[in-house]
Amino acid sequence: MEVIINNEAHGCEAKLIGRLDTAASQEVSDALQPLMDKAGGTLVLDCHEMTYIASSGLRIFLNLRKAAALKGGKVIVRGINSDIRNVFMMTGFLNLFQIED
Amino acid sequence: MHTLDPHCQALLGSFDELLPTLQEMEGTLLREIKAVLAEAGLLVASLESRVKGRDSLAGKLELKGSKYKGIADITDLVGLRVITFYSDDVDKVASAIERLYDIDWENSVDKRKLLEIDSFGYLSLHYICKDKRFPVRFEIQMRTLLQHAWANMNHDTGYKSGVDIPKRYKRAMSRIAGMLELVDDEFSRIRMELTDYRRRVQALVKSGNLDEVSLDRDSFKSYLELRPFDGLNKRIAAVNQAEIQEVSLLPYLNIFAFLGCKTLGDIARLVKGYSEGAYQLACYQIGLTDLDIIASSLGPQDLCITYILKSGGGKAGIRRMFDLLNGASESNELMAGLLVEQSKDLAFMNQ
Repeated sequence: MEVIINNEAHGCEAKLIGRLDTAASQEVSDALQPLMDKAGGTLVLDCHEMTYIASSGLRIFLNLRKAAALKGGKVIVRGINSDIRNVFMMTGFLNLFQIED
Repeated sequence: MHTLDPHCQALLGSFDELLPTLQEMEGTLLREIKAVLAEAGLLVASLESRVKGRDSLAGKLELKGSKYKGIADITDLVGLRVITFYSDDVDKVASAIERLYDIDWENSVDKRKLLEIDSFGYLSLHYICKDKRFPVRFEIQMRTLLQHAWANMNHDTGYKSGVDIPKRYKRAMSRIAGMLELVDDEFSRIRMELTDYRRRVQALVKSGNLDEVSLDRDSFKSYLELRPFDGLNKRIAAVNQAEIQEVSLLPYLNIFAFLGCKTLGDIARLVKGYSEGAYQLACYQIGLTDLDIIASSLGPQDLCITYILKSGGGKAGIRRMFDLLNGASESNELMAGLLVEQSKDLAFMNQ
């Protein structure tokens, strides 16, 4: 799993590439720490190249959402594939994020 | 340029010496008043402060300088103004101020009580306050936003200008003051009635008379305190021993309204009648996965989907629901289609 961080003027964007499974979750969580620090702005999770998400990945997304809510920021989840969108739907996560194509 | 006698010039000199202290005093007062208002839970429109300008003081001294023996006799060198939204908040602010500082009652004025019963005009509460930490007294004005607007307009139309304005304008301003007083009272009355309504709704919800409670934001919030979807969420979570993440369910207010719910009783019937179907749908979806986390919005989401499917709303109805929840998107159409497919062989659809 690869994470590429781009700091932006009013937030941060992270490009997630590969499978966000349990094995990768700790590494991804660490890699996304810069987003936690910028949670008062707009956090974009670019998931165009993310192929899978496990529960541990959902927890990471949720933690970012909580940090953003606390600091008045927002999380945009961009480009999730239909399988991941279904995971969001099956778990009730779908309306927790601003989801963009 | 002001012409000042030696006494007034001496007063102005004292002011210049005192200026840094007055500025520090202004900052302290502002902080303290902000804190006491927050502590009292009073939301105000604004809190303003100022140290009297040198020129303004010189003007005042030119007009009535002999009235003041020393600089400490001038009570408005530091002034603060609290602007409230509601007229009944003026007294609440006053009470908070009284807890903070000693009030010089002899020099404080409640302009609200000065007006005759048949006249309308400047309404404001002016407290002259003292505190032994500070070398001079200070003034705190309290009034509503509408009173503030009127006072500013009245100021612009001639008050204190020294030039008397025609009687018809004075009468017009007085007429507006009367109207604003009425509006202020109406705002306070509406707030009081809304508070009463919320209390009544909470009581009805607690007593279980849900059919008597119309569905709106306040009533839905009260209903959520009963945790009506907990049973369903726990049942679903048990399928995978999943943890339930608590999230706001307020977005579902629009969805229940979209489904035709008019009262909380309608939602309660939906929960009772469609929980089994929602459970079957959730079991089908997550039963074969290792997902061990769900949001507390899953219960109401699947409940609404089940209701739509059972009442013939089909794919279009589910799409509309997702559009309302998440914003319109083509992927909502795909998800709606998938849900129709997934549910068609489930037991609840054939009962």
